Amino acid sequence: MGPQPIAPIVEPPPEMFAAADRLLNALIRGDRTTIEAMTPAHVRDEMMQIANAIPANKYDRFELIGRARVSKHYFLKAMLTGTGAEPFKFQFRLGETDGKWTVREALNLTGRRSAWSR
Amino acid sequence: MQRMIPVDKLARPEDHILLPANRTRNARSEQGLSPGNAMPYEDDFLKSRMHGICGGEFQAMEAAGRTLYDFPDAPWEFQLDMARQVWDESRHAEIYMKLLEYVGSYYGEFPEGEVLWSCTQAEDPAARVAGINRGLEGLACDVFEQLIRIAQKMGDKIIERSVDYVLADEITHVRMGSQWMRKLTEGDPERFKRAQEFQDRIDELFNFGPGRKHVEDVDHVKQRINDKEIEIDSGITIAREARLLAGFTEEEIDRLVKGFGKSAAY
Repeated sequence: MGPQPIAPIVEPPPEMFAAADRLLNALIRGDRTTIEAMTPAHVRDEMMQIANAIPANKYDRFELIGRARVSKHYFLKAMLTGTGAEPFKFQFRLGETDGKWTVREALNLTGRRSAWSR
Repeated sequence: MQRMIPVDKLARPEDHILLPANRTRNARSEQGLSPGNAMPYEDDFLKSRMHGICGGEFQAMEAAGRTLYDFPDAPWEFQLDMARQVWDESRHAEIYMKLLEYVGSYYGEFPEGEVLWSCTQAEDPAARVAGINRGLEGLACDVFEQLIRIAQKMGDKIIERSVDYVLADEITHVRMGSQWMRKLTEGDPERFKRAQEFQDRIDELFNFGPGRKHVEDVDHVKQRINDKEIEIDSGITIAREARLLAGFTEEEIDRLVKGFGKSAAY
């Protein structure tokens, strides 16, 4: 059996996943109102650049392919897919203040290293 | 295969989050935490510290392998030492993967930083070993010695002995770095100076200003780790005994504490 863990693994809060789902669904739909509502002013430009890079009605699925936390903030790597469309990958950070999860930074991974092959 | 892999080409699995240091610092600052690494008084300290070290061991393994590949004309004995170091670092990575499980974490729970790989960016093997073996592995001696003392206060033999086992190897890596830095630059004081300057920059980068303190000078804070409250260091300490064993001089250690960041090869 060997030594047993001395502490439990920290599970991310369900609210964080719900916020990520909300954001990704909004991006797929091109729902600017929801995206803006989840994005503080200082991050809005970079988030909108990502929103502008995602053509409406081209993607219909998303997947969180990576996750890592810095204390209580979560870096998430997401991939959007759709029939006949190149997968779109980007990374963002979610943090919570007063019960509200918002985007703290966002980075388009297109053309950047994001896998073994880059 | 490409030589001299730059920082932005370090390959990782698709599901892995690899970040430049400034992004992690921003995320920490926004949460009211000190911008550098997790400090001993934070809840996540053990997990985060083990994770950072584990990533460091992976990158140290890759770095020694790259040094072997990047400098095919280096002496055969140098290449053998680098190959041995790859083996050592791979064992260390395995040990820390197990330690992560032990403290309730897993590799990938936190982002991996790029900063260690940035310390490999030297095109001279003498500078490469000065930076990695003397700069970074010297820092590892400090971090591991502190972790061993924390484990002792926790009464945790698993962590204490595992980290002590790894520390013993790191001491040999520092000695190896000092030996090769001197040997590769024999009769070429300018080359020695450039290698030393490369190491100085790395020492400065990780010295957190005059941030490292002697064990007897550091303040202490109470910290609850699982079911125990222990008194632990409030900051980063310097592993005087381990560094002396590794061949650093008293003068070099004092300079690191004072934040001069200059530690000439003995």
